Amino acid sequence: MSKPVTIIMIEDDEGHARLIERNIRRSGVNNEILPFTNGTDAVNYLFGSDGTGLNHKGEALLILLDLNLPDMTGIDILRRVKDNKYLKATPVVVLTTTDDSHEIKRCYELGCNVYITKPVNYESFANAIRQLGLFFSVIQVPAAAT
Amino acid sequence: MRRRAIGQILLLAAGLAVLTVISAGSVYLVNRAREDARWVVRTVENENQISFTQLQLRRAESAQRGFVLTLQPNFQTDFEEAASQIPPALTRLSELTSDNPTQKRVLDQMIPLSHQRIEEFRKTIELARTQRLNDAAQIVREDVGRAAMNHIYDLAGEMRAEEDRLFVLRTTNADRSQTLAASMTGIGSGLVVVLAGISIFLVRRSSRARDQAEALLRDNNINLEATVDERTADLREANDEIQRFAYIVSHDLRSPLVNIMGFTSELEELRGDIFKRIAALARAGTSTPLVPDNATDSAEPVLEGTDKQLSEEFTEALGFIKSSIGKMDRLISAILNLTREGRREFQPVRIDTRELIEGIVATVAHQAAEADAQIRIEPLPNIVSDRLALEQIFSNLIDNALKYLKDGVPGDILIRGRTKLGFAIFDVSDNGRGIDPKDHQRIFDLFRRAGTQDKPGQGIGLAHVRALVRRLGGTMSVASELHTGSTFTITLPINWTFSNRNKAS
Repeated sequence: MSKPVTIIMIEDDEGHARLIERNIRRSGVNNEILPFTNGTDAVNYLFGSDGTGLNHKGEALLILLDLNLPDMTGIDILRRVKDNKYLKATPVVVLTTTDDSHEIKRCYELGCNVYITKPVNYESFANAIRQLGLFFSVIQVPAAAT
Repeated sequence: MRRRAIGQILLLAAGLAVLTVISAGSVYLVNRAREDARWVVRTVENENQISFTQLQLRRAESAQRGFVLTLQPNFQTDFEEAASQIPPALTRLSELTSDNPTQKRVLDQMIPLSHQRIEEFRKTIELARTQRLNDAAQIVREDVGRAAMNHIYDLAGEMRAEEDRLFVLRTTNADRSQTLAASMTGIGSGLVVVLAGISIFLVRRSSRARDQAEALLRDNNINLEATVDERTADLREANDEIQRFAYIVSHDLRSPLVNIMGFTSELEELRGDIFKRIAALARAGTSTPLVPDNATDSAEPVLEGTDKQLSEEFTEALGFIKSSIGKMDRLISAILNLTREGRREFQPVRIDTRELIEGIVATVAHQAAEADAQIRIEPLPNIVSDRLALEQIFSNLIDNALKYLKDGVPGDILIRGRTKLGFAIFDVSDNGRGIDPKDHQRIFDLFRRAGTQDKPGQGIGLAHVRALVRRLGGTMSVASELHTGSTFTITLPINWTFSNRNKAS
């Protein structure tokens, strides 16, 4: 992953956020990680004060998204990202506890790129995140609004 | 209602009684009227007879007179003819009046007198014929004849008067009978009309009451349906809420669990580092020579005494935490799966039960071979039901049967089926270790198990099976003794439709 890619981590559980970050780092990814613990802050950052997403023009972003947020559902954020003309090419990785097949299907239909269920078993969890980190280190991310 | 019915029966009985009385009375009165009329006719006849007798006497007398005066034989013939009529007339009269003592008495006086008169006439005629006219005139002139004749007249008058009296009496009787019959018919008819009127009134009243009751019943039915619908909707809502609740709870419980598990594992890593440091420090303290700094080495640090004990206790504590988390995770997953199952819509399809069970048996063939068990399938009834639910029901039961066989005894699992009153009844029997009767209820509860806990499992299978069977409108039960095997019996409707149960569950 080229250096300027910023990872936006939207995760309300700070423990989860810490574990995710730690394991991504362990896989050798050194990109900037911006954590958000609620949907509102994340939306404000993503779409800017004017709500258009223009402020990220030319930046390369990658979104790590939890579906269960205290103030909104991750699905809403996913939908808005994929509807936004600047952000729609941004890869979205849904990382959540839900393994409900309807939910998974819905996320992919809305344009999510990867859906990962957080395993309770920590070895699997750490493994999954590290592999995700490895994945991050090889994928190409487009700049917003090309 | 009952009282009204009795009232109507009484009314009908009264009507019948009135009609019977009227009919009987009419028959009786008509008979009496006819009798009365006959008596009236008899009276007239009597009077006639009296007059006829009197007339014949008169004829005989005038013929006798004529003969005495003229001696013409014509008169004698007339006389004989009249005289011959008199005895039969008298006999007839006595016959007719034989029932009346008064008339009989008068007649008893009259008959000898009449015979005497005829004898006298005959004697005069004889005298006249033998030219003894004077003697004959003498007899005629004698007042004896006239007196007798007058006496006969008086008697006849008496008889006629008696008959007149009887005539009046009998006519009155006949009139009265007729009036009675007429009035009886009239009154009876009136009564019947009145009874009919009361009947009509009662029938109309009861039919009105019935209409009202029907309307009330209809209203009640509609109300009842509305109430049932309402309750069903409430239940459905409550059930949905429980499902949502269970889903959210189990889902949200998982999130902190990931943290607990994650940081426990992190702690475990840290533990390795810490004890390596301790070991290094301990060695440094005892100034063991030529030991490389192995803090970053993957090899287990060599610990001694209290340090070793500390390390073991640390490991034990972490082990308990991790195994508990693992268990909790499995339970939460189970609840999640159950709530997901509970939300799935069932689809009724025609199912070849034998084929379905043969499919299940094929998937467990390996386990069956391992357990040295045979699975026999007897002819089974086909049903209309949800295929996935049915698969889950039977595969859980067959799994259980295979799982809890007796060690060292070849397993024998038998699946049987029959139908009864629109229901298909399936038995899954085994010769396994059996279930203590005191546990028969418990095994259907979520997370509850029974018997020796030597097999993996969470205590979900049977709870799930029973929930499915109930949703399919059926029931299930178990018959089992320890060490002799178990039989699980499932009763399912042969034709399951949405309306049966799905709506309410």
